[in-house]
Amino acid sequence: MTPPLSFTDAGLPEQPDVLLVDDDEVNLLMTAFALRDRGFRITEAASGERAVDLLADWTPDIIVLDALMPGLDGFATCRAIRAMTGFENVPVLMLTGLDDDASITRAYQAGATDFFVKATQWSLLAGRLHYLLRASRTRIELERSKAKLARAQDLARMGSFDWRRSEGGLAMSPEGLRVFGHSLNDHASLRVLLRMVPRDDRRALLRLLHDVLRHASVLATDVPITLYDGRQRIIHVEAEPEFNEHGHSAGYTGIVQDVTDRRIAEDKIRHLANFDALTGLPNRRQLIWRAERALEQARRMQHQFALLLIDLDRFKIINDTLGHSAGDDLLMEVARRLRGCVRHSDQVMEGALEAAGARSHRTLEAVGRLGGDEFVALLPEVGEDRDAERVAQRILEVMREPIFVSGQECFVTASVGIAIFPRDGGSVADLMRNSDVAMYSVKNQGRNASAIYSPMLAGVGREKLELETALHKAIERNELVLHYQPKIDVRSASMVGVEALMRWNRGGRLVPPGEFIPLAEETGLIVPLSEWALREAARQAKIWQTNFGFSDSIAVNLPSHQFLRSDLIEHIHECVTTVGVPHRALMLEITEDSLMKDLQDVIPALHRLNEIGVEISIDDFGTGYSSLAYLTTLPISELKIDRTFVRDLGVTPQSVAVVTAIIALARSLSLRVIAEGVETLRQMEVLHRLGCGVMQGFLFSRPIPPDDLERWREQTVLPRKAPWIGQATELEFGSDAARAAGGRLKLK
Amino acid sequence: MNAPTPHPAAAPQQLDAQALAKLHELDPDGRHGVVRRVLQTFETTLVRYVADLAEARDRGDMAVMGRIAHTIKPSSAAVGALALSVLCADVERQVRNGETAGLLPRVENLLSEAERALVAVRAMLRT
Repeated sequence: MTPPLSFTDAGLPEQPDVLLVDDDEVNLLMTAFALRDRGFRITEAASGERAVDLLADWTPDIIVLDALMPGLDGFATCRAIRAMTGFENVPVLMLTGLDDDASITRAYQAGATDFFVKATQWSLLAGRLHYLLRASRTRIELERSKAKLARAQDLARMGSFDWRRSEGGLAMSPEGLRVFGHSLNDHASLRVLLRMVPRDDRRALLRLLHDVLRHASVLATDVPITLYDGRQRIIHVEAEPEFNEHGHSAGYTGIVQDVTDRRIAEDKIRHLANFDALTGLPNRRQLIWRAERALEQARRMQHQFALLLIDLDRFKIINDTLGHSAGDDLLMEVARRLRGCVRHSDQVMEGALEAAGARSHRTLEAVGRLGGDEFVALLPEVGEDRDAERVAQRILEVMREPIFVSGQECFVTASVGIAIFPRDGGSVADLMRNSDVAMYSVKNQGRNASAIYSPMLAGVGREKLELETALHKAIERNELVLHYQPKIDVRSASMVGVEALMRWNRGGRLVPPGEFIPLAEETGLIVPLSEWALREAARQAKIWQTNFGFSDSIAVNLPSHQFLRSDLIEHIHECVTTVGVPHRALMLEITEDSLMKDLQDVIPALHRLNEIGVEISIDDFGTGYSSLAYLTTLPISELKIDRTFVRDLGVTPQSVAVVTAIIALARSLSLRVIAEGVETLRQMEVLHRLGCGVMQGFLFSRPIPPDDLERWREQTVLPRKAPWIGQATELEFGSDAARAAGGRLKLK
Repeated sequence: MNAPTPHPAAAPQQLDAQALAKLHELDPDGRHGVVRRVLQTFETTLVRYVADLAEARDRGDMAVMGRIAHTIKPSSAAVGALALSVLCADVERQVRNGETAGLLPRVENLLSEAERALVAVRAMLRT
């Protein structure tokens, strides 16, 4: 048999267990039968004593008791059952007589859940039983949910409370009492709890409470308290007003929660976000925030503030040689020393700066770490440049003491760039950039010093660094090219050699050598650059040899220290043999200046080069201070008259004198002479007249790519189609003097 | 008291048809023999109660008399012995109210009515 649909409840037993207790066998029999018919599982007991016995090891879903029985009657039985562990809440239905009011009252007193008049209305009885079962189930669920809530609140260190205007004030849940460190038995009045709040905070809290009450608004605040054991906690209190039927605020209901751990975590997160993990100093974010505030204040109060960018010198070397952990130790020590140079404030600051008087911006003062070995000192107010310089000086001084890391004494210096608001920049970004420029100027001038920004410094620094980085990659990216400028013998109107000039194709723009060769020399990049140039020139010589029988030499410019490299000869040898051209296909140009600087050391290399057939040409001759004595003994083949003398030919008589002297010198030393920078026919004519027949310059051709040079040779030189060719021929055959002079030169 | 006047010498009474019909509803197709089992149980227990009641009357034990009347009251109503049930209710109430006057004659009536009910039930059981 299935119970009527209306009684099927989720969570209720399909066949509820009923303990039916009645001393009258007829009634017991009929009731049992009627209820079984309605889906109940019935266990019969003919007396109260029997019922109590059965319950010793069994728990029915519901108990039905006849009130009047011999021996243990219904009331006594009910009391006995309620006294048994686990039966406090089992539903008990007491069956009474129709006109027996006294029994009804006694039934409730004995702990019965409900009563029912004994009758043969079985459906009504069954309905009542279902109702009681459902109520019991709801009650169990409520109990469970309450227990869960209590446990959850305990875990969350949370509790709830009610506060009534009229009745007794504050009622705090047991969990809430625990939040305050109180036991269940303590009487925790509002007054007692408030006394746990430190005096100053208490005053503020009371003000807030009054305010909230007056407006019947929502309360949400964090309150610091001191527990009786002395521990400090932070309690979050949140409460909403409750209104009575007249719409008047009758009280508050809310929760309290111990949020100390969350606060600590939040503080920690805030600290991580604003401070450098290694040194504990304010990080870039915090520094920039402080700098912004300092700038606002300085603008409002019309004073200056300074930003000092501090970069350790050669930190990379320490990191590379001693390892990163030693590098970290060093940074920590540096940070410690730098802190001592300013009135460093560690306060975490976000949001608005508390308006704590006119000097509040002083709390912005700090040293921070931008990253790597870069630090910043922020001086929120400086009277004059000297103030900032004094701090910079102090910084340089504290670095003077050696730092012990990995058992070694390290000497660290720093370069400090200073930018001062408003003069050196109107925004934090500008000030950062300009302090950077100033710092780089210090680096360029030998480091370990400080400099205040000036617009003259701009343009060096970072850009140079970027250039250096890009140049590093230029070789592997094939961005370097050689352009060639022909050397012309004007008497025969023929090409007698070429000079290779390096160009850097940087992102579609050809960078002239003047812009990157000095940097390459400074950084040592010149070594791979030169090696590449030699290899490339040899390769080109081979191509031209194949294409048009090129048998002259390609001159490659080398700085003097390249001649000091022991592997230079070997490298050149390899370059020419790899492509299959003779050694003399390459010629080396060295400037007079550079040669004289390293003269003693370079001489052996020159001799060896000469021995293998590589000729040496002295570039920019006439501008340096050549030791003529040495010049006579050097294994060189060619002097190149510097372009400045060529430019002034026909303009100043002195230049004619110098050129004449160089030509005479070359002649007496049996050296070839060549003039560079020839741009006009007039210059050509004078040079020729003075006895120099080999030239190089825009008059003939600017430095051009190799294919263009081939085309130029085919379309200009061979058909003899350029203005200078007619002129040259005329010179050659029209001037005896010229012929006489030129004939003495050793020309190829 | 307005209880109906008993007729000691009345002919064997019939059990109330309505009450029996209600009893039948417990077991409409008679599969479980409920009516018979109830009547049998009623017969057996009533014999015992009658003996107990007579003994209590002899002792003058009002409480036991009241309790036995209370017990017989609903089961006699259930099998249709309505007169007996009414007498039980009277006795029960009188005991509860502590009215000793007229109690004994009522108990006598009750006993003889019980005998009649037994006869009727036994007659039913024989059919």
